[in-house]
Amino acid sequence: MALLEITDLHARYGMAKSLHGISLSVEEGSIVGIIGPNGAGKSTLMDSIMGLVENTGSIKVAGQETTRLDTSDIVRLGVGYAPERAHLFPYMSVRENLLVGAFTARETIEEKLEQVHDLFPVLKDRWAQETATQSGGERQMVSLGRALMSDPKILLVDEPTIGLAPKICDGIARALKRLNQEMGLTVVIAEQNVNFALSLAQEIHVLETGSLRVSGTPEQLRSDPELTKAYFGH
Amino acid sequence: MLQVLIQGFLLSGLYALIAVGFTLIFSVGRVLNLAYGAYLMLGGYAYFYSVQTLGMPKLPGFLFATGMGALAGVLMYRLLVKRLKGDQVAVEISTLILAVVIQAGVVLVFNDSSKILHPIVGGVWRIGSTTITNNILVAMVASWIILGGLLLFVKKTHVGRAMQAVSMDAKGARISGINTDRVNMMTWAISGALGSVAGVFFASYTQLNPSMWVAPLIIAVAVVIVGGIGSIVGTLIVAHIIGFMEIITTTFIAAELRGVFTMLLIIGVLVIRPQGLFGRGDL
Ligand SMILES: Nc1ncnc2c1ncn2[C@@H]1O[C@H](COP(=O)(O)OP(=O)(O)OP(=O)(O)O)[C@@H](O)[C@H]1O
Ligand SMILES: [Mg+2]
Repeated sequence: MALLEITDLHARYGMAKSLHGISLSVEEGSIVGIIGPNGAGKSTLMDSIMGLVENTGSIKVAGQETTRLDTSDIVRLGVGYAPERAHLFPYMSVRENLLVGAFTARETIEEKLEQVHDLFPVLKDRWAQETATQSGGERQMVSLGRALMSDPKILLVDEPTIGLAPKICDGIARALKRLNQEMGLTVVIAEQNVNFALSLAQEIHVLETGSLRVSGTPEQLRSDPELTKAYFGH
Repeated sequence: MLQVLIQGFLLSGLYALIAVGFTLIFSVGRVLNLAYGAYLMLGGYAYFYSVQTLGMPKLPGFLFATGMGALAGVLMYRLLVKRLKGDQVAVEISTLILAVVIQAGVVLVFNDSSKILHPIVGGVWRIGSTTITNNILVAMVASWIILGGLLLFVKKTHVGRAMQAVSMDAKGARISGINTDRVNMMTWAISGALGSVAGVFFASYTQLNPSMWVAPLIIAVAVVIVGGIGSIVGTLIVAHIIGFMEIITTTFIAAELRGVFTMLLIIGVLVIRPQGLFGRGDL
């Protein structure tokens, strides 16, 4: 059974429709990439899964329909989210941000803190720093860490590499890979940085103006000349 | 001099207690609750009714007043604020109207004459030539205890941190598994409870009358504007600035001017530093 199953998802912001009938499923234990240009609807898709955008259609997490649930219940079901622009708590310390992330998972705090510090040792040294004063890379790590604190089964990550230096991107790629391989976490990554997504994901969905254009493995997509021209330029 | 110091601390303690519930809603819910003063009035009258009319003992009367405030807060959130979601101006106007309606209700039930609330704690203290009533002393101590407790709650508990989280980034809070609706409702309840507790002390310091909601509202607004979107510590500091300013004005200039400087301070800060002296948006 797919861990995440989306069927005919439509989403809108007031009058403006942003997703027109998306269907896709994410197998447990996989890494899935969602790529597409600005405004394609990648973030809207993730926000919809979290119940943050008005939507119709069906979204199932581990077999359970979530469309009617509050975001907090979706988190409890095991969906972690590191959104675009992070949405950290700027005047809280790194540690406090992580603790808020554990709001629904208070029994596993110590264990999860250890895991986050193991993945991102910088955060361990800077635990008392307010996130408002942190660098972009550090903030991205706090964002991923905060999502992990809820002990998720599936992790949604929206453009984790945006504006970051290649070395930091590599670190984040390594962390995501470890989470997937060592801890069995299922990961969905939205990216404009196509190479980043291709290097990690087993399956890629290409989103364009609110619809899925094509889905496939990285190899399949690379063998399509039009896609290669549009997305993998070099 | 000693007199000014003592009076200043006493009044400031009361002001901090008055302002903190208002600040709380402002930072967590981003709502300027202009009916906040009505919580104080509600608390004062609820205490008056239960203790001086029904003859209940003071502690249950106090708890009754607190409960009424919390209930008023919850009802306001559920019936008004939640429904007007996001429309700041509509919320402000309707909370102001609500305050006037509550005033009319109070006149209807208790008529519009002023009532004297017996001191919650009787007796006086003498320090040198200064006399202070135990009543306001208790108000100050209660204020410090409540603010300290609130600070601990907000900084050290999961639910308190959730309140902070909502105040800093609502989306971030939701994706962390926090039910923002529940946190908001709880904040309104706490705010209402704090308001009515402050109201009992305030009424015992001044007197009960149906327009008593205005002065504390101005104090609360002043604290938020001068302090910036309020941290609890910021509230405490600004309450002292305003409290001492009023005592100094009353003692050395003229008692009639005490409120005027507070208002001038509001305008001054709005013009010079709109984000407030300590403003940054957290609790
Ligand atoms: N809050 C909003 N209100 C109205 N329209 C919105 C809102 N957020 C997104 N949209 C619209 O929805 C569409 C999809 O936006 P979305 O942010 O999901 O794209 P994206 O693929 O994440 O783009 P990017 O790569 O730039 O982050 C766009 O047309 C955008 O203008
Ligand atoms: Mg996006």
